[in-house]
Amino acid sequence: MNGTTTMEFQPKDYKSDLKPIWCPGCGDFSVVAAIYRALAAIGRPPHEIAFVSGIGCSSRIPGYTTAYGFNSVHGRSLPIAQGIKMANPELLVLAAGGDGDGFSIGGGHIPHMIRRNMDITYIVMDNQIYGLTKGQLSPTSKKGRTSSTSRHGSLEQPVNPLLYALAYGAGFVAQAAPIDIAGMAATIEEAIRYPGFAFVNIQSPCVTYGEESQQIKGLKAISESLPALGHNPADRLAAMDLAQHYGDKLHLGVFYRNPEPPPTYGDLIKERQELLSKDALPRERILDLFIKK
Amino acid sequence: MPTQGFDFAKLTLMDALDLAVLVEAEAKERYEEFAYQMEQHRTPEAARFFRYMVENETKHGEQLAQRRQELFGSTKAVVNGTMLFDVEAPDYDAARAFMTPRAAMAAALESEKKAYAFFSSAIPAIKDPQVRALFAELRDEELEHQDLVHAELAKLPEEALVSDEDFVDPPNSPD
Amino acid sequence: MSGRDPERQPWGNNGFTVPMRKDLVFGMAGSGGDGIVSAGDSLLQAAAAEGYHGVMTKSFGSQIRGGESSCRVRISTDPILNPGGDLDVAVALNWDDFLKFGAELPVSGKTVVIYEAATNIPEDQIPLVGITPLQVIAVPMTAMAKETAGTERAKNTVVLGLIAGWFGIGAVAVMKGIRKKLSKKGDELVEANQRAFDAGRAFAIEHPLVTSMQIVASDTKGNVKLITDGNDMCAAAAIFAGCKFFGGYPITPSTEIMQFFTDHVWKYGGSVLQAEDEIAGIGAAIGASFAGLKSMTATSGPGLSLKTEMMGLASIAELPLVIVNVQRGGPSTGLPTKNEQSDLFAAVFSAHGDVIRPVLAPTSVADTFRITIEAFNIAEHFQTPVIVLSDQEISQRKETLDPIDTSVFKIEDRLVPTGSDLQNYKRFKLTENNISPISHPGMLGGTYLASGIEHTENGAPTNSGTVHAKMNNKRTKKFDPLRERRDLFEISGDPDAPIAMVAWGSVAGVCREALAMARAEGLNVKLLVPYLLYPVAEGFYNDYFASVKKGLIIEQTHLAQFHKLLRMHLDLPKGVKPMARSGANPFLPGEIVAALHRLLSELQRSHESQLQPQE
Repeated sequence: MNGTTTMEFQPKDYKSDLKPIWCPGCGDFSVVAAIYRALAAIGRPPHEIAFVSGIGCSSRIPGYTTAYGFNSVHGRSLPIAQGIKMANPELLVLAAGGDGDGFSIGGGHIPHMIRRNMDITYIVMDNQIYGLTKGQLSPTSKKGRTSSTSRHGSLEQPVNPLLYALAYGAGFVAQAAPIDIAGMAATIEEAIRYPGFAFVNIQSPCVTYGEESQQIKGLKAISESLPALGHNPADRLAAMDLAQHYGDKLHLGVFYRNPEPPPTYGDLIKERQELLSKDALPRERILDLFIKK
Repeated sequence: MPTQGFDFAKLTLMDALDLAVLVEAEAKERYEEFAYQMEQHRTPEAARFFRYMVENETKHGEQLAQRRQELFGSTKAVVNGTMLFDVEAPDYDAARAFMTPRAAMAAALESEKKAYAFFSSAIPAIKDPQVRALFAELRDEELEHQDLVHAELAKLPEEALVSDEDFVDPPNSPD
Repeated sequence: MSGRDPERQPWGNNGFTVPMRKDLVFGMAGSGGDGIVSAGDSLLQAAAAEGYHGVMTKSFGSQIRGGESSCRVRISTDPILNPGGDLDVAVALNWDDFLKFGAELPVSGKTVVIYEAATNIPEDQIPLVGITPLQVIAVPMTAMAKETAGTERAKNTVVLGLIAGWFGIGAVAVMKGIRKKLSKKGDELVEANQRAFDAGRAFAIEHPLVTSMQIVASDTKGNVKLITDGNDMCAAAAIFAGCKFFGGYPITPSTEIMQFFTDHVWKYGGSVLQAEDEIAGIGAAIGASFAGLKSMTATSGPGLSLKTEMMGLASIAELPLVIVNVQRGGPSTGLPTKNEQSDLFAAVFSAHGDVIRPVLAPTSVADTFRITIEAFNIAEHFQTPVIVLSDQEISQRKETLDPIDTSVFKIEDRLVPTGSDLQNYKRFKLTENNISPISHPGMLGGTYLASGIEHTENGAPTNSGTVHAKMNNKRTKKFDPLRERRDLFEISGDPDAPIAMVAWGSVAGVCREALAMARAEGLNVKLLVPYLLYPVAEGFYNDYFASVKKGLIIEQTHLAQFHKLLRMHLDLPKGVKPMARSGANPFLPGEIVAALHRLLSELQRSHESQLQPQE
């Protein structure tokens, strides 16, 4: 049979003893299972992985892995992930959170993550609602959506996470959903392997507050595979064209992957450190910089 | 695709048995998770049923593992769990807080049907006669499992006209 | 003291040398285009070259260029404790701008006032109400500049020539510095400056002052001197302490700290991120700390407010972090370029929940080095964010310093888990001293979940009241040994004195000078300078105040924040009162001495009344 090489790590090696508090049926169960698989395929030992999240149901995810986890504050997983990656570029750094964490309070950090192009993978579990705090609107909620903070219907257009990332120049943008776990695991693996900032938007239904149309059945009804459509992931404009259908269609797969990934922020830092360390005064002599000449 | 990376034409008996063991293991793990979730979400009847399914899957798995051991000893398996995607394990989406035992059994039934479909659709591609025989056996076993679930269903009282959802507290915000 | 130095002209009556000055305070003001600050800088550099101690502060209006601009340079043969009070020399290039600085450039009866003759104001009609300066001289600086250098803009060099002539500073060193600075810009510019300088000097020689104010030659000329400001010193100290990561955002008056890192930290294998906002800056620093590096962020009041949530996160996750807050006038945008100490409450109390977060305060450019290192040591040892509460004056003030022997400083690193700790590792283990070994990504066996949510010993989220109480206890009691650190306090004067001062930050420098003056006048006074502002070392303060009948807590805060903070924690003697006012109005040594005299009078009166025979 087609050989898969024996893997050093199995998915269960990335699964911690902590049991999720998510509602039964939550899409995030599938997401974390896919993450275990992706990490196993990549084969980095758990202690070399740092997994940062914000606040929300999906932000609980690092605790359910055996990686070093950091469940931080709302909307701020990306800056913290950046600090970790800059401090130790050898680590595999993941960031995760929900659509509110990422595109509401955290939205201001995304363009800068993208333009710095650090080798970090950002997974957003997008369910168009704020689950943890009992069902308020989220920035990806459809216009007209009723919720606990919009009983008469939302007056706002949703943000489009895919266009957002593509327009800001992300080098890797993809979408996945629990309706295709194999595809989801493969997409996440590809995102992690991409040398630079990678964004994966995952439609992960909320069974407690999500609308009927956003549940698994509803997602199946509007899903289309990007490879099956013949989409070329090296074509950013075509990707943006498809991304416009966010909300009406669930395109699964890689929207865009830069065929010539530029150097990562980490590469550039390393270069600079090597160049400038030749000039260094020993640390004990650093005050010599202030000597009046 | 419930599996990935298999060439059924070239599937050996050892691989097939390993695959079967993994199918049961995957399902068992999923039923364990569901049982735990039901207990956490105070849905004891469904929890009890899922625990029952855990026992079943464990038994089936052990039987298959024993056969594998007898035939192939401790030869290292080539097949691994990452090649399976919920072959017999119920989708995560099948569980719900406060689900009725009927719904839980429906989920199990759905899974058995899924597994049946998998084994039966794989058979035409299989070349090795022993493997074919095994798959046929596994396919038929799924029918037996379905019978077991039907038996459990029969024990259930009439579906109530009201659901637990009508009585339980609304969702709260843990943090 | 008199002496001859070939670089000086003998001055005073009849050409003989006369008693000379040891300390001169210059205040110069004009508009941004006048190059006042450059002149001040040249003067400071020249003073250092000649072996003097020097301090320079600057003050501006709100325009980026061309608004009112001033500097104050104090030059002395002795170490300088603060930028000084009343000016010895006031240089006004125009009166509108000079007057805008009000109490920052106080003119008194001992001041020599030099001003631009082209203002067309007669020497007896200068607009300083109610003040009769020692001497007033109009100088046609602009005309001299135009004539000698071909441009009015050279008037600052004329001023430097005047200063060299009248006060004996920088006769050679100023031009040496200017030559060096302008060497790349061509000989013509340098020569033009030389002519302007010479013209200024010649004018001074031709118009001697009524009282000589020549400065004594320094006997440490030729010794190595450092010149730097509080921000650069802070950054250098951080790198010395092993800081390998800085995350921050530009904000006056702290930006130079980040700039120093962007210049130098790469050389030490570190990195720096100018983040997209204040929150991302501290977020990245927290991430770097989580990853095992010593890390830092720096900001001012508005940024401190933004960073509040993250500070709480670092506290509950028990992550080491140094946060430098360079205070400026508040609240909100406040007065970005003025000194104040009103961030104390924010530094101590910010972040919801029961949090203790150490706060340290340097008092000068020199001790910024030691205090920053101490901040890192405390942060690493106690696994906590630590705030270094600097202020605008220290951060922006340029000072000459004697070289610092870096070998005497101990650097402390965080407690790392041993092999046995890593068997079933519990990140937040309840140990006897409440400090649990801290792992970091990459360490096999040390995986854990760091979080803002309350957690058990192994990091799992919990909402149990029992665990929460235990963890709050761990996070607060671990600081007990910090309250015993006597080396973080400085007491000067008679330890049993009945009159006491307490002052921190840049105000401490003013009070040190006031103490010397008061003691010289026979007052029995002592001064406490706390470097550790929080947690409050109650035992220590109680000891200090045991002998005290009257006292002042002196601070630049409108709400007397430190006074209130002390009262929260201890019973201050009734006679200890706040001497507190809003920033941008610096305390002067003289006014503090006057206040101490008043306290002495009160004390004497109350003694007398106690001694009155009962009727």
